[in-house]
Amino acid sequence: MSPKVNKTLLKMVVNGKAVEVMVNPTWTLLKVLREELGLTGTKKGCEQGDCGACTVLLEGQAVNACLVLALQAEGKEIETIESLGTPECLHPLQKSFIHHGAVQCGFCTPGMLMSAVALLRKNPNPSVEVIKRGISGNLCRCTGYAKIIQAIQNLSAFREEMIQATRD
Amino acid sequence: MQHFQFYSAKSLGDALRFLSEKGERTKIIAGGTDLIPKLREENSRPEFVLNILEIERLSGITELNHILRIGSTTTHAQLVESEILQRSCPSLVQAAASVGGPLIQNRGTIGGNIANASPAADLAPALLTLDAEVVLMSEKGTRVVALQDFFIGPGKTVLNPNELLVEISIPLPKGQTIFLKLGRRQAMTLSIVNVAVCLEMEGRNCRNAKIAMGSVAPTPIRCPQAEILLVDKEIDPELISKCAGEAMAMSKPLDDQRAKAWYRVQAGAVLLRRALLQAAGLRNE
Repeated sequence: MSPKVNKTLLKMVVNGKAVEVMVNPTWTLLKVLREELGLTGTKKGCEQGDCGACTVLLEGQAVNACLVLALQAEGKEIETIESLGTPECLHPLQKSFIHHGAVQCGFCTPGMLMSAVALLRKNPNPSVEVIKRGISGNLCRCTGYAKIIQAIQNLSAFREEMIQATRD
Repeated sequence: MQHFQFYSAKSLGDALRFLSEKGERTKIIAGGTDLIPKLREENSRPEFVLNILEIERLSGITELNHILRIGSTTTHAQLVESEILQRSCPSLVQAAASVGGPLIQNRGTIGGNIANASPAADLAPALLTLDAEVVLMSEKGTRVVALQDFFIGPGKTVLNPNELLVEISIPLPKGQTIFLKLGRRQAMTLSIVNVAVCLEMEGRNCRNAKIAMGSVAPTPIRCPQAEILLVDKEIDPELISKCAGEAMAMSKPLDDQRAKAWYRVQAGAVLLRRALLQAAGLRNE
């Protein structure tokens, strides 16, 4: 019988809301987001930091949630895909992805969007080269990336909304 | 993952105290990009994981009296964005930008890349040609080790269990520094071979040369027998080819899942030639 694991209280801010959750020290941020907080928009892919399906923003930086121990997120601000628009009111990036046909199976999409958000906050008008580098940690098996890159680059139709959204 | 206890050090002293008592049973975590995949392996069973990311003293890049000091928890992304480094050590910036992708660069640290001591570590060749030293601290005191003496084998360093790698110091370099990496893709790839050079040029004359390579030996290596060929000589493409050949002759590459040894020798020579030509001003990127 395995020894009883002592859980630790983890306090962090997720999508603007303060949360408290008891965690096992071995748990990653990914596991806590999905299984303890029910935020399953962030996907579990490789669990080694190779695929980017688990991309979230940690203190504004795009990171692999599978490579953050949950307790390392103590006191930190996390943004997940759930913070990006709502089904009734999509984020301009989401609108652009749909408009450009950049979503097929959708599994890479939350991670792609979070990497794109991080990129656009630093660089609102990135070139194709910069976009490619910005999503180089996110694998897509379906689309061949071209439409994803276009969706990120051609935000002008959604530009005004975009500026407003990133300021919020 | 096998169970462990997690402790987040609040200060450097806190961390050193922890390591002096429990260092042998502890794994240190910073960015976790190398450690966490390892913790998932069956045979990895530390009792404790010590988080050092909250120790402010360990991050940041400063320059004082012509010495650059880089805190060990400085991330690859911070290295890339550092104006001081862009101006004074472009090879280190190029190396940091070549590691993984943006997600990895936002977490992985310079201390972790060094302490993990992969023979393919991308920051290592650049740091070796910059004559980097690492500052190791324990409760018993501080020691400074030349990076060349820090690596002793694949994944093995002289770091003691009670010690923490606190800082990397680099004398402000005087030459042109270049880093090149060959991988199977343009991002998210381990190096098949990586090279760094630092050439101090006076016109076509080379006053000083430093050459380092990774992924071609049990540790990243400097190539003194190749460096000597360039010092106080007029640099031309022929001499550079000879130098690259000499450097590869010193290497001991292996066949592994990324490449065969013969390929590394050939590709390494090409990369070195390009890096040296660039640093000598004889080739544009």
